[in-house]
Amino acid sequence: MTERDPRIKLSVIIPVGKRYANARELYSEYQLGLEPARLAHEFIFVLDGPHPQVMGELEQLIDEGAQDLIIVSLSRPFGESTALMAGLERASGELIVTLPAYHQIDGRDVVKLLAPLESADVAIGWRWPRSGGALERMRRAIFHGMVARVTGMRLHDLGCGARAMKRRVLEELSLYGDQHRLLAVLADRQGFRVAEVELRQSERDRFEGVYRPREYAHLVLDVFTVFFLVRFTKKPLRFFGMIGASMCGLGVLVVLYLIFDRLVFNQSLADRPALLLSSLLVVLGLQLFALGLLAELIIFTHSRHMKDYQATEIVQYPEAGLQQASREPRVGTATLR
Amino acid sequence: MRTPPKLSVIVPFYNEQDSIGPLHAAIVAAVAPLQIPFEMVFVDDGSKDATLARAVELARTDPRVRVVKFRRNYGQTAAMAAGIEYARGEVLITMDGDLQNDPADIEEFLRKIDAGYDVVVGWRHQRQDKLVSRKIPSIIANWLIGKVTGIAIKDNGCSLKAYRASVIKNIPLYSEMHRFIPAMASIAGTRIAEVKVRHHARQFGASKYGLSRIYKVLLDLMVIKTLTSFAARPLLWFGFLAMPLLIAGLSVLGYAVTTSLLHGEATSLPIAGSGVIFLTSAFILICSGAFGELVYHLSGMREHQFARLTQRIGKRPAAIETQAQ
Repeated sequence: MTERDPRIKLSVIIPVGKRYANARELYSEYQLGLEPARLAHEFIFVLDGPHPQVMGELEQLIDEGAQDLIIVSLSRPFGESTALMAGLERASGELIVTLPAYHQIDGRDVVKLLAPLESADVAIGWRWPRSGGALERMRRAIFHGMVARVTGMRLHDLGCGARAMKRRVLEELSLYGDQHRLLAVLADRQGFRVAEVELRQSERDRFEGVYRPREYAHLVLDVFTVFFLVRFTKKPLRFFGMIGASMCGLGVLVVLYLIFDRLVFNQSLADRPALLLSSLLVVLGLQLFALGLLAELIIFTHSRHMKDYQATEIVQYPEAGLQQASREPRVGTATLR
Repeated sequence: MRTPPKLSVIVPFYNEQDSIGPLHAAIVAAVAPLQIPFEMVFVDDGSKDATLARAVELARTDPRVRVVKFRRNYGQTAAMAAGIEYARGEVLITMDGDLQNDPADIEEFLRKIDAGYDVVVGWRHQRQDKLVSRKIPSIIANWLIGKVTGIAIKDNGCSLKAYRASVIKNIPLYSEMHRFIPAMASIAGTRIAEVKVRHHARQFGASKYGLSRIYKVLLDLMVIKTLTSFAARPLLWFGFLAMPLLIAGLSVLGYAVTTSLLHGEATSLPIAGSGVIFLTSAFILICSGAFGELVYHLSGMREHQFARLTQRIGKRPAAIETQAQ
C-alpha cells in the first residue's frame, strides 16, 4: 500500500483494456466534466497490459505538466477487475470514480455520478438515451431481466464503465475475474446502497456490427455467476443438492420402471440400454450431492473469516450524568473481517 | 466505568415497531430484580418501519441498551450472530422480538446455566400457533433433527435460549443455522438442558415464516450431520456414502460375469456397464473424501478448538501461593 495523499478527495480510475481512445482527449474531456464538482482529484490510468501508444500519450501529458496524473502499468492483461484494484491501491481519494477508457458516456455528465453518493454508497451509470437497433435492445432487456429475476434488482446497464463509489465499497468487494460488470449486484449483496444515474451516451459509443456468440456466452455466464453468488455462496448444498437429488430421483424412477417391466412383463434387463442411462443418472446425482457436501465443508472450515452481515453502527449511550450528555452515539463500524 | 454486564439479552428485530417498547419494559421488569448487571442487545435487521428509531430512543433513556444496526435485512441467523458478537455478558440469552417469548422465563434459564449447562433451550409446551401449518411440521422437523443429529430437543424453533458466551461465541453460525444452533453447538460437546417456557400468541405485526419447505430442512440436516459428525474425518464419511455404490457395483458386475460364464453367453452390456458405472462412482466418492481431508487439513480448523470450549479440568485444589495473588 502506498502513502495516501490527504489533499486528494476524489480518485478517478481509468482501466485501459482492449478498447481505448486517445488518452489526451479522454483526459481533457473527463477533467472538464469533473470541474463543477470542485473536488481535489487525481486521474489514475491503469494500463492493463502493454499499451505503448497510450503510454506515450500519457507520458507526454506528464511532461507537459499534468500534476494530477498517475500511470500504473501492468505487465500483462489481467482484466478490468484487477486493473481497478491495482488503481485502488494507488488511489488517495475517499471517493472513487471509475471511467471507461473510451468515449462511452458524454464527459460532461461525469459529475452527475457524484450527486447520489450523498445517500448511496455506489452510483452506476446508465447510458440513456441509448443507441442500438431492435435486436440489440432486446438482448439488453433479456439480460437485465434475467439479472432482475435472480437478484430482485432492476438495473439497466451493467455494461457501463462509469461508476462512482465510496472507497470502502471497492476495498470490501475486492473484485477479481470479470466481477467488475457485476459490481452493482455484489455491492448490494454486501449491504451497500446502490443508485443508478442516467448519463448521456457519447456519440462515439456506437457499436456497429453483430455480437459474436462469445459475447452471448459471456452474458449467460454472468447471469449464472450472479445466480450462484447471490443465492448459494453460503449454502452450496441447496444448489448442488437440488440438482443432484432431482437427477438421482429421476434415475431411481427409471430403475423402478425397469424392474417393474422385468417382474411383470418379463422383459429382460440384459438388453435394455435404459439401464445404463438410469444408473448414470443415479450416480451423477450422488456425485453432485457429494460436491455440495464438500463445498459445505469448505464454507464451514472458513466460516471464521466470513461474516454474513455488516453492522453499520453500534449505538449505546453512556450512563447519564457520568459523561457529558453528548448526542453522539458511540460508533463502531464492523468490517468484513 | 460501569461494571461489565454478566448477562446479555439479545433480541433481533425486523419490523417490530409495536413490540420493541413493551418487550424492553418486560425484560427490565423480569431481569432487574435478579440483581445482576445486564445489558440488552437489540439488533435491527434492516427494518423498514420505526423499529430502529424506537430502539435508539430506548438506548437514549436506558444505557443498558445496545443497538446494533444493520445496513439492510440479512435474516435471523445473521441478526443472532451479530447480537452474539456484540454482546459482552458472560451469559447470553436470545429471544424473539415479537413478544411470543416471555422474559419472565429468563430466571429459570440462568439457574440452569449456573447448574453447569452450556446451552439451555426453551420448549414451548403450550404453543399458541396453528396446528396444521405450524405445529405438526414442527413436530416432524424436531423429531427428524433429533434422529439425525442425536440431539433430541423437543423444540428447536423456540428462540428463547441461553448460552455460555465463551462457548457460543466460538461456534460457527452462518447461513440459516439459527434453527439448528443446539445441533451445531454439539460439535463442542455442549451440555444441553431444556426448560419449559410460556408462549404467547402474536400481538402485533405479522408472522414472518410460513410452512417452510421440506427439502431445505432435509438438505440442511444433511449439512449439519456432515459438519457435526464428520467434518474432521471426511474420508470416513464419503467412504460411508460410497459403500452402497461399491456393493451395488460389485454385485451387479459379479452377476453379469457369472451368468455369462455359466451360460456361455456374451456379457450383457447394460448390466456390466451399470456395474462399472457404480464402481467408478464409488471410487470418485472416496477420492472426494480424500479431497475433503485436504480441505480440512489446510483450513487450520481443529477439533480441539471446540473441545477446549467445554472441557473441565480436574486438578488438586490450587496451592496457597496462587491464592495470595
